[in-house]
Amino acid sequence: MKKIVSLVLACMMLLGCVSFAGAEEEKITLNVWSFTVELQQMIDKYYAPTHPNVEITYTVYPTDGGEYTSKVDNLLAASATSAEAPDVFTLEAAFVKKYVNSDWTADLMGDLGFTEEELAPAIPVMRQIGTSNVNGQLKGLSWQSTPGALMYRADLAEKYLGVTTPEEMQEKVADWDTFMETAAELNEASAGATKMIVGAGDIWNAYQYNREQGWVVDGKLVIDDALYDYLDLCKVLEEDDLSNKGTAWTETWFNGMKTDSTLCYLLPTWGLHYTLKPNCGFSTNSNMNDEELKAACEKDGGTYGLWKMVAGPVGYSWGGTWIGANAAKVAEMSDAKKAAVKDFIKFFTLDEDFLYTYAKDSGDFVGNNNVVDKILAEGGTPNPFLGGQDHYAIFAEAANLANGAIMTDYDEKINSLWSDHVTTPYSKGEKELDDCIAEFKAQVAAQFPELVVE
Amino acid sequence: MQKVSANSQLAPRRKRKSISYDKYGYLFVVPFFIVFLIFQLYPIFFTFRTSLTDAAGWNKILENDIIGFANFAKLFDFGSEVSRYFWQSIGNTVIMWLCNFIPQIGMALLLASWFTDSRMHLKFQGGFKVMIFMPNIITAATIGMLFYSLFNYPVAPINTLLQNLGIFNAPFEYFRSTAASRGIVSFIQWWMWYGNTMIIMIAGILGISPSLFEASLVDGCTSRQVFWKITLPLIKPILLYNLVTSLVGGLTMFDIPHLMTQGNPNYTTNTVARFIYTQAFESPNNFNMASAASVILFFIIVICSLILSFIMKDRNPAEKKLRRAGK
Repeated sequence: MKKIVSLVLACMMLLGCVSFAGAEEEKITLNVWSFTVELQQMIDKYYAPTHPNVEITYTVYPTDGGEYTSKVDNLLAASATSAEAPDVFTLEAAFVKKYVNSDWTADLMGDLGFTEEELAPAIPVMRQIGTSNVNGQLKGLSWQSTPGALMYRADLAEKYLGVTTPEEMQEKVADWDTFMETAAELNEASAGATKMIVGAGDIWNAYQYNREQGWVVDGKLVIDDALYDYLDLCKVLEEDDLSNKGTAWTETWFNGMKTDSTLCYLLPTWGLHYTLKPNCGFSTNSNMNDEELKAACEKDGGTYGLWKMVAGPVGYSWGGTWIGANAAKVAEMSDAKKAAVKDFIKFFTLDEDFLYTYAKDSGDFVGNNNVVDKILAEGGTPNPFLGGQDHYAIFAEAANLANGAIMTDYDEKINSLWSDHVTTPYSKGEKELDDCIAEFKAQVAAQFPELVVE
Repeated sequence: MQKVSANSQLAPRRKRKSISYDKYGYLFVVPFFIVFLIFQLYPIFFTFRTSLTDAAGWNKILENDIIGFANFAKLFDFGSEVSRYFWQSIGNTVIMWLCNFIPQIGMALLLASWFTDSRMHLKFQGGFKVMIFMPNIITAATIGMLFYSLFNYPVAPINTLLQNLGIFNAPFEYFRSTAASRGIVSFIQWWMWYGNTMIIMIAGILGISPSLFEASLVDGCTSRQVFWKITLPLIKPILLYNLVTSLVGGLTMFDIPHLMTQGNPNYTTNTVARFIYTQAFESPNNFNMASAASVILFFIIVICSLILSFIMKDRNPAEKKLRRAGK
């Protein structure tokens, strides 16, 4: 009996020692959810080595077919504080607004203690999109910034428009009126061989930033005046035959990247690297590096090195990934864990050493003006694809022009309804404007019963 | 007491006599019923229940209030936008289904009667059957994307081909034309399914007693007479089966329109299934409306199937008399 008692006591002592040792180390586990492995790779490479006391559990659900959002919605609605629920989760441009406008995401300043000072260098448009339209709280931050610019074929611009420098080109596309004048001039000079743009839909992502109000203001559908100007512009493009009449992501669109049929593409940071560049030649693909792309274009035909870029008619942003925290979990977690969550978000979105290293390693355009300035001061990033032009300088210019305050959580669906029921039928002359608008409003009302549609 | 012990002595023998393997049969069907109950019956009841609630959004999917038939009232209130698009979707679906089904059953019957005609003796039958059945093997998603790129505008294979042949002067925008878009959707459905229907028809025809065909040959029937007087009446049950399955498949058509046209142009290729999908899974998550629409679709399918089987029922006066006599 004595033996047993002493054994139990010994065990308890041993356990006590172990738990004491554990408490001393204070290992904190963060549950991170995302829709790609991008952040995980960044965690493994940059975060984990410098944060040995934080253990990351990383879960990926793809965005295809809404799997990620369904999973997040389901869990946050049913059991937001369960162990399975994320502490921190990433949000894509398509649905970031839905979450930052909900009560599910934590207020980064109020709940996690971010200060205005810390946030100052963040590029405004990304911060605006990460801010709730409902109560103005900041709920999401991004490590990158995805400003858009206008890429154009320098050789064709010189041939037909007599433009030799990007500065001259910027004058030709300074606003949408001059953009259209240039389109007409180009069509005439090239006798229709080269068009300004692939199709009216191609300028939407940029043009929507000309609006003063987003789609929904105070629960009411708003059709901003700029949208009517957009429709006129699309109609002229169509009627005067100033575009290739194609839509984005189709054969016509990709074809314009490798042939002389199209002068301009309005694309963001990722569009330059992952869309335009790999499609610049007839035998190019996304696995090729710069030398291989160049060689392939020389061999089989292509446009490598013939492109330049300018800021274009309007500053805009297209895409991006934000990091947000689970409000329900933040509300009941310990101060140490709260600090770890804050530190996690801060590390990826505001830590200048990290962002600098990451930008140098990946070429990604980061969402922090101090880091962008530092890279520019060091001579930027001359890009052989753009004939040696520095894309960082142009994106930096565009990034601070965009106004993200007009984004709403309805954008993705309403944009496509607008394109299907107004832009396309109206610009192609299938229906009168009033009929198009009436149909659009009816569609919005059927799809969103909670909105007031007048 | 003694009686009982006598019984217990007898019991083992009786047990052995009545050894039954039925329970193994039940074991084999148990997995199906478990899966069926969890993944089919329960969701069906859940859908019926959801259709009576105000469950709009994920946060209301489990905790919601029963609000009666308000969702149905909205779908039957012909002034509301939701109802307008719902019934338009049903109309679109029926049109596209009919345009696919009538040619499909015609083609399948024709091919089936050729393949089974003993006087024709078609060669390479196996090869033909495989080729005709082939489109059914490829997933609808692939075919949808394939036809989308084939019929694209302005630069795409079909447009280039027609221009090179001199049939069209300018590229034609198929997916902005209601007739062309619906036509392409119907064509794909037809092309994918006529092989399948044909195989079932052949099976049906081969099930007819050969002596009937032989007798008709002896009596000097023409091929046409054999088809109309013997084959067709005797494969009626198979035809009914085909009609009902195709009706169910056709009214729930989703993948091809969803991937190829997204309901464009002007909502004319938007099917009911797509209506339900957009209500339930695109931003607002109107699960209540989607469920109500599903329930209405369910009843439409049940009623149509009943009508079909009523029409197709054998109503031979002689047989009726016999049946009555039997009673």
